[in-house]
Amino acid sequence: MAEYVGIDLGTTLSGLAYLKPDGNPEIVPNADGERLTPSVVFFESHEDVKLVGSAARDGGEPDRTIFQIKRYMDDPEHLVEIDGKKWTPAEISALILSKLKRDCSKICGDINEVVITVPANFNELARKSTIAAAEMAGMKVRRLVNEPTAAAVYYAHSQGVKGRILVFDMGGGTLDTTILDVDGDSIKILTSEGARHLGGSNFDDILLEAYEEQYKKQTGAALYSGERHRRRVLQATEDAKKMLSKLQRVNDTVANDTNSGIARIDLSRDQFEKMIRNMLTRSVFLVEQALDSAKLKPSDIDHVVLVGGSTRIPKVKSMLEKIFGKTPKSCGNVDECVALGAALFAKKSSRIQEVCNASYGTLAMVYNAKTKEEKLMNSIVIPKNTPIPCSRTQVYQTSEDNERVIEVDITQGEDEDAKFVDVIGRLTLDVPPNRPKGCEVAVTFSYDENQRVRALVVDKQSGRSKEVAVTYKGAGVLSDEELKRRSHHLRAMRIE
Amino acid sequence: MFKILKSLSKSLGSSAKATEAKPAAAKEGTLLDKVSKVSAAAAKAEPPKSPEEMCGITPKMSKDEVKAQLKLLFRRYNRSASSLDAKLRNEADRMLDAIVQMREKHFGEI
Ligand SMILES: Nc1ncnc2c1ncn2[C@@H]1O[C@H](COP(=O)(O)OP(=O)(O)OP(=O)(O)O)[C@@H](O)[C@H]1O
Ligand SMILES: [Mg+2]
Repeated sequence: MAEYVGIDLGTTLSGLAYLKPDGNPEIVPNADGERLTPSVVFFESHEDVKLVGSAARDGGEPDRTIFQIKRYMDDPEHLVEIDGKKWTPAEISALILSKLKRDCSKICGDINEVVITVPANFNELARKSTIAAAEMAGMKVRRLVNEPTAAAVYYAHSQGVKGRILVFDMGGGTLDTTILDVDGDSIKILTSEGARHLGGSNFDDILLEAYEEQYKKQTGAALYSGERHRRRVLQATEDAKKMLSKLQRVNDTVANDTNSGIARIDLSRDQFEKMIRNMLTRSVFLVEQALDSAKLKPSDIDHVVLVGGSTRIPKVKSMLEKIFGKTPKSCGNVDECVALGAALFAKKSSRIQEVCNASYGTLAMVYNAKTKEEKLMNSIVIPKNTPIPCSRTQVYQTSEDNERVIEVDITQGEDEDAKFVDVIGRLTLDVPPNRPKGCEVAVTFSYDENQRVRALVVDKQSGRSKEVAVTYKGAGVLSDEELKRRSHHLRAMRIE
Repeated sequence: MFKILKSLSKSLGSSAKATEAKPAAAKEGTLLDKVSKVSAAAAKAEPPKSPEEMCGITPKMSKDEVKAQLKLLFRRYNRSASSLDAKLRNEADRMLDAIVQMREKHFGEI
C-alpha cells in the first residue's frame, strides 16, 4: 500500500506522486506511460467507456469531451449532460481521479488516503466538491493543501533552502502567488493571493483570436465552423505558444473546416508577448498584492520559485526578475512539483503552519465619531492570513430598542465595502424583549486546519448564544447518501 | 468609533441611511441576489467612459495616490473576476483592463 500519496488535480494536467521508503517523493506514471494525465474526459458511446487523458484530449467528439472542469468546481449550476444524464463537476473530476487511482496503484500499491491540492483561492464549495470527487473515486482525503504550499514544500525539500520564498504558480487555468518562510522542515505560510481565471489557456484563447484574424484577412473566410475544428486550432495555438518559449519565431499554416484554403501564420515572440501583456500586468499586480498583504518589499524575498507550465514563458521569468532583482528558480519540473510536494505534505503536514485564505466578518453600521457619518460596512473579525487554527471575537451593539431577534450575516472577503464581499451564511438569535438599543453582542469566528469556519454569537446580557458551522449547504453539495450512491455507481464504470 | 450589528435584511428594510447610497437594493429576491444586484446597479448607474473615470483617477492625484487607488481596485475586481455571476465577472474584466491601462500610463509597461 502507498501510505503517503499526493494528487495535483490540475485544470489541464493532473499528476499523482507517492513517498518512497527513502522519504523522497516520486511521480507515478499512468497506464498510458505518461507522467501527467491530461484532465480531459471523453464519454465514448459505443463501448460505454469513459476515456481520461491524452486519448480523450486528442480523439473524442467535442460534445462528448469535457475539458477544464476544474474551472467550474464551485458552480452548482454547471451540469454536463451526456445521453440524458447530468454530471456535476465533482463527478467528472471523480472520473479523472479514478483513472489516476486505478492506473497508479498498479505501480505503487493500493491507494486509500490522499492529499489533494487546490488553488489557494478555491472557495469553500470548490473545496467541498474536490473532496466529494475523491470520495466518489474511492479515496479518503487526508487533507487538502494549497498548490503553491505543496510546491514550496517540494522546493524546500529538494533544494534544502532557508528563508522567505515567493512561489509564483501560473498553470493552465489559475495563478497563485504565495509567500512563505522556510526553515528546514518547518514552513510558515505568510500569505496567498490568487487570480481564478489567469493562466495558459487564456493565452491560447488570445492566440486563437489572432489566428482567426489572420485567416480572415488572408482567405476572407472564418477559421472554424464547429467546435471540433475550433479545438484542433486551439491545440495548434497551444503548440505555437510552447514553441515561442524556445524560439523567437514560429511559422504555421492553418486551414478551416470548409475548404476555404490555407493561411500562413507568422508569429514572433515579441508579438506574442504584446498580446499577453495585459494578462501579465495583472499577474504583477497580484505579486504586489501578496507583498503588501505580507507587509514585505521585493528585497525581503530570498527566493522566487516558479511553478506551473506557463512559467516556461521567458517573459514571465524576465518580468519577475525585474521586480525582484534576482533570477527566479524553478523547482525541477514545473508541472510536477505540486504533486511531489503534496506527497511530502501527506507526511509532514504537522510541520506546516497555514493561514486563513479569506477574511471573515459580519455586516455592521460603523459610526465615525469624527465625521459623524454612519455607514454599512463589512466588519472583519478574522482577517485573511491569520495563522490557523485561530479564533477571534468582535463586540457589537444592537441598533434598536426592543430588538427581539439578532441577525448576523456572515461575510467572506477583504473589502470594507459590503457590495464587494459574499454573504455566505446567517445566524439568528432570539433575545429577551424590552431592552434598549446598545446591548452588547459578541461575534466569534473560529477557523480550523481544514479551512472550515465556525461562527458563535453571544448576547452578553442574557448569556444566550448560538453557534453554526459556516458551510455551503445549498445547491452543489451532495448529501452523504447521494455521495455513497454515486461512488458505488462510479466504481462499476469502465474508465481508461 | 463603535460598531452596530446590522444584518443585510435590516439595513435594506428599515434603515434609510443604509440604503441611501444604494437605492436599487430595496427590492425583492434573496439576500445574496440583493448584494450582487447592488453592485451591478451601481456599475450601471453612470456609464463610465475613459479608464481614468472608471478608476477614479484625477489629474490632481499624486503618483502614490494613483498607485494606492489602482491597488485597491485591483484587489476588489480581481476578486469579483471569479464571481459566479457572469455579469459581475464581465464588469470586473472591463475594470481590470482599465486598471492595467492606467498602470501602463502612469508607471510604464512591465
Ligand atoms: N513551454 C511552455 N511554454 C508556455 N506554456 C507552456 C509550456 N509548457 C506548458 N505550458 C502551459 O502550461 C499550462 C499547464 O500547466 P500546469 O500543468 O502547471 O497547469 P495545471 O496544473 O493543469 O493548471 P492549474 O494549476 O491552473 O489548475 C498549459 O496552459 C500549457 O499550455
Ligand atoms: Mg497546477
